[in-house]
Amino acid sequence: MKGRQVKPIIHIENVHKYFAKIHALCGVTLDVQRGEVVVIIGPSGSGKSTLLRCINRLEEYDSGRIVVDGIPLDTAENINTVRREVGMVFQSFNLFAHLTVMDNLVLAQRVVRKRPRGESEKVARGLLEKVGIPDKALAYPIQLSGGQQQRVAIARALAMNPKIMLFDEPTSALDPEMIKEVLDVMLALAQEGMTMVVVSHEMGFARAAANRMLLMDEGLIIEEATPEELFSSTHERTKKFLGKVLH
Amino acid sequence: MEGQPKPRPSGSKIFYIPGGETLLRIDPWWGLVALVIGLIILLIAVSPDPFWNITRFVRDGIVITIFITITAFLFTLVAGMLGGLGRLSQNWFVHGVATLYVEIVRGIPLLVQLLAWYFAFPVIVQQIGQWLHISALAEYQANAIFTAIMGLVVCYGAYMSEIYRAGIQSIPKGQTEAARSLGMTHFQSLRYVILPQAVRVILPPVGNEFVALLKDSSLVSVVAVADLTRRGREFMAVHFNPIEVWAMVALLYLVLTLFSARLVAWVERRTRFER
Repeated sequence: MKGRQVKPIIHIENVHKYFAKIHALCGVTLDVQRGEVVVIIGPSGSGKSTLLRCINRLEEYDSGRIVVDGIPLDTAENINTVRREVGMVFQSFNLFAHLTVMDNLVLAQRVVRKRPRGESEKVARGLLEKVGIPDKALAYPIQLSGGQQQRVAIARALAMNPKIMLFDEPTSALDPEMIKEVLDVMLALAQEGMTMVVVSHEMGFARAAANRMLLMDEGLIIEEATPEELFSSTHERTKKFLGKVLH
Repeated sequence: MEGQPKPRPSGSKIFYIPGGETLLRIDPWWGLVALVIGLIILLIAVSPDPFWNITRFVRDGIVITIFITITAFLFTLVAGMLGGLGRLSQNWFVHGVATLYVEIVRGIPLLVQLLAWYFAFPVIVQQIGQWLHISALAEYQANAIFTAIMGLVVCYGAYMSEIYRAGIQSIPKGQTEAARSLGMTHFQSLRYVILPQAVRVILPPVGNEFVALLKDSSLVSVVAVADLTRRGREFMAVHFNPIEVWAMVALLYLVLTLFSARLVAWVERRTRFER
């Protein structure tokens, strides 16, 4: 990991978030360094997805401060600037159902990045090659398996040349045999030095790729450690949670 | 009748007509359109007086009916989109105005609205003109076709707003989130992601609205528009043959509505996509 003096690419400071009366985030503070892979685990309802969605402001937070790559998430313009630089992968893929795989990858490049069609398609083809489905460019999302859809979703995010990738339980909606193909893509991405924040309970991936793991519970980061440290943690809450997910 | 069905490659049609692969693609309900047209031709052939006379007399009324329906429908599509987006707006004022429009307009009979547009609206414009001393407004004369189209658009726009709203709401939230997470603005995600999908969802109800509008356009006959219905009444007033006149007018409307319904079904099939 890089030194603490380096300016973090994601800076989260005392963020609070309420859903009606539920206190979803209770003052979360977190710095993520450039090139770091952070895996967030925790029981459902612990606020891990909410925290992730705050980083690109898909979720509004009620107080605190988030700065991404030097840009504070305050004005609508800043939020859009940040979103251009932050890719997001969802649990339910969310591919654009009316567009082919190729057009899914091309759309945002064209309307957001203003890239010409030819160049956008070239980028798209390169990325489809990279995620291992170059032959599906003309297929519609419905015609793909879950694993293929998720790899397209990753490629779609990468087409914007993001500086950061956020993964919100990317394998939770997949059949077991498709999980590996998605994790392999993520692993390759991590090895290339992409900054990644991943909400996932794929402990194998965490062990292989994470620089740091966070355990969240009830809207707070309970423990923060390298995978090795976390898996042998003496922290009561961590032990209890890992006891349930590691089998 | 039925030949021995041979095994076919990946066909999902219910009816099997040997050697008729292209026929199968034609919607069988077109037959009903042909039947009604045949009936009209038969009536005209069997007794040209009065049926041919009626048809000739109401010809310009058919043109007016079609013109009013199509024009009003195109504006209704725009009004409905604005109304629907307004109903979904985060801005309380825009949302309030759109909701008020939909609720009020849907609560007043179309006939009353058309009468108000034709009789009351021009007087209001004239009085405003007198009050502001603008002679162009003070001397405003209502164009019957214009006020009729206005009335239809305002009324049907309200119903259409609800169709758009429901259609947009039926698109999963994840689609918007994916678009926004790629840096698209609210407008871009509507334009490129939400509306193209919503349009396919709302096509069947929008098609129904077109057919309903076509039929309701007969109401404009009471506000001085010489549409199909009014021309029929005019013919009857001279020749006193109500049975023949209204049978013919009904058949002519039926051709128009059945034809539009087939057209709608065809467009629907062409734009269908699986999700």
